[in-house]
Amino acid sequence: MDGRPAGALCCGRCGGPAAAARAARRQRFRAAVSARPGDGLSATPGVVPVGRAGQPRRAGHPGETSPAAGPAYQDGAGHPGGWARNATRFRTVTGTLLDTSPQILVVATDQGERRLALIPATSVWRGGPAEATGLRPGERVLIRLVPGRRDAADKVWASIGRAAGTISASGDGQFVVDEGTTRRRQAVVIAPAAANRIRVRFPQLEPGSVIDMIGLRRGDLLEALIPSTSQPACLASKATRGPAVARTAAGTFSGSVTWHEPAGPGEEPRGAAYPAIDPAAGCAEATPSAPCPAELPYLAVGSMLSVHNECTGATRVLPVTCCAAAARLFHDRCLTCGTSPRGRVADLTLASFVELGGDPERACFNATVSVWP
Amino acid sequence: MTVVRAVEQMQVPLLALVLLGGCAAKMSRVLRARSMLVVLDATSLFPPRLRRPATMAVCFTELCLGVGMLATSGRPWHGWAAGFRLATGLFFLIAMCAVVELRQFRPDLGCGCLGSLSSKPAGLRTVLRAGLLAAAALASIYGGELTLPPAGPAAALDLGILVAEFLLVATLSPEVSELLARLGYAEPCELRVAPPHRALASLRRSRAWRRHARLVTRRLPVDMWRELCWWYVVYPGRDGAGECDIVFAVEIRPRRPAIRAAVLPRAAGPSPEDAPARAPTATAEGLSPAF
Repeated sequence: MDGRPAGALCCGRCGGPAAAARAARRQRFRAAVSARPGDGLSATPGVVPVGRAGQPRRAGHPGETSPAAGPAYQDGAGHPGGWARNATRFRTVTGTLLDTSPQILVVATDQGERRLALIPATSVWRGGPAEATGLRPGERVLIRLVPGRRDAADKVWASIGRAAGTISASGDGQFVVDEGTTRRRQAVVIAPAAANRIRVRFPQLEPGSVIDMIGLRRGDLLEALIPSTSQPACLASKATRGPAVARTAAGTFSGSVTWHEPAGPGEEPRGAAYPAIDPAAGCAEATPSAPCPAELPYLAVGSMLSVHNECTGATRVLPVTCCAAAARLFHDRCLTCGTSPRGRVADLTLASFVELGGDPERACFNATVSVWP
Repeated sequence: MTVVRAVEQMQVPLLALVLLGGCAAKMSRVLRARSMLVVLDATSLFPPRLRRPATMAVCFTELCLGVGMLATSGRPWHGWAAGFRLATGLFFLIAMCAVVELRQFRPDLGCGCLGSLSSKPAGLRTVLRAGLLAAAALASIYGGELTLPPAGPAAALDLGILVAEFLLVATLSPEVSELLARLGYAEPCELRVAPPHRALASLRRSRAWRRHARLVTRRLPVDMWRELCWWYVVYPGRDGAGECDIVFAVEIRPRRPAIRAAVLPRAAGPSPEDAPARAPTATAEGLSPAF
């Protein structure tokens, strides 16, 4: 796969209201100049009207954000392929755990306190399957609600974190992972119980090696528990690339979709980082050695992607909020349901990933992505 | 006997062409991508730290052997001919073994023998081709000097042998189908690198620009972005009703791109002009810093 040039220009990405406003403005302009004139894709009603500054409107309960609540994150039922006709609609709640019991979770969200019932089928992940009573107040939790209910938790993830990038320093059993120029470097330590499993997948844990791990976040430290890529160990500067991302049509492509933690409180809770931002705008988030995937069409911050989870059938339309620097380093397949074509085609925020039916501890889902509309 | 002699002699130009072609294909891929990373497929059996030098060594060997085969085919340096031909035979034997190993340990990778044309996983045909070329090189050791045949049946025989052998090599080359596909292929516009200044130049020459230029109040666009096959350019402006934004869509096409325009009344709230107001300097290419 030939590398493509990546510029070094920097601009405000993942920057909360400013980036969302830019995305909204661009959609409005694009719609005005005749809704994608003549590019062969859907030119009809397709332009997604985004609300002011792209902010999702709130659902009936405080703190709950539904993909259908904001127009920019709408359900994909209107997709030309009709993907989401029978797909389950997932909603999530993100916040800090205040209290827990075998029957109920109390979560502080940005919009207020939420009380969520735990049903017998509710599962809890905290470094592995856990009991709800094992959760600790003060932990960051992400809760997927039972489809069709606003007060019951389907699955709870507590303190889940991920580090995907290049090791920049190592020593004393701890190493620092560089996830791109615009994200803070992550300190990672391997949990003793997972050391063998991780060492098999990543035998080279030296500066320059590419890694991707999921684990428990303890403040600024990530305790790695699960190796989350099938890519053989390699140095970032010497990665070997074979045939990649499958393109089925102009603007439609398949591959692996992963997730990342929000870079900070200012980052949009929903959105997608995309690896092939046009080189004129530059992938400001990437290190120069990460080549742009040659099979992905060039897009800009503010473009809309319709992401279809092939494992659950769910589809969402998400805005491109930044360049997926870490995704450029990986050329792996997702094995969540079947085997995806090689290459990561989008890196979603954690909330978007879960709302599409993905399980974060499984690292990825097989997806077909098309440029919306 | 004449036919055998002709077959032996015709291996020299064939092998030289294959070697130089392989080297050129790899080099062109490196030059286009400006990175050695793209041709490391062929050496993926080596440890990562040795892949770059191994790739360079393969390219250099191909170049030396190809030039050497041609240079020693005539009278001046014919004394070295047997050495070069033997070395070429050994080179292709090693290549055949490497492809066998590659098929076993990295069945998802192409051999990279002919640069980006060899990106599909190596198959049995690739192994047979390397073996055929090794046999051809060893057969040419006693081929003697390469001389131009006299016009007539002898020349036709040489030419026929050369064409037949090329056809045989082509049959054993999975890259041929890829090459034929590429000859009839143009890179889709959404995958093509398109400099923004070219879009701006096309826009300034267009009728849409002339029609809306009187509304534009600033020389530089306040926002510009590319999506699939279009560049979108936004200028601030003023029409009879007040402040407005003039949006142009410029198609990514080398000649006569389609250009569309729309005038939008300025929406309340954050304006695209805010960005250059904070950072009013233009880039070196005269583009807005907005994107």
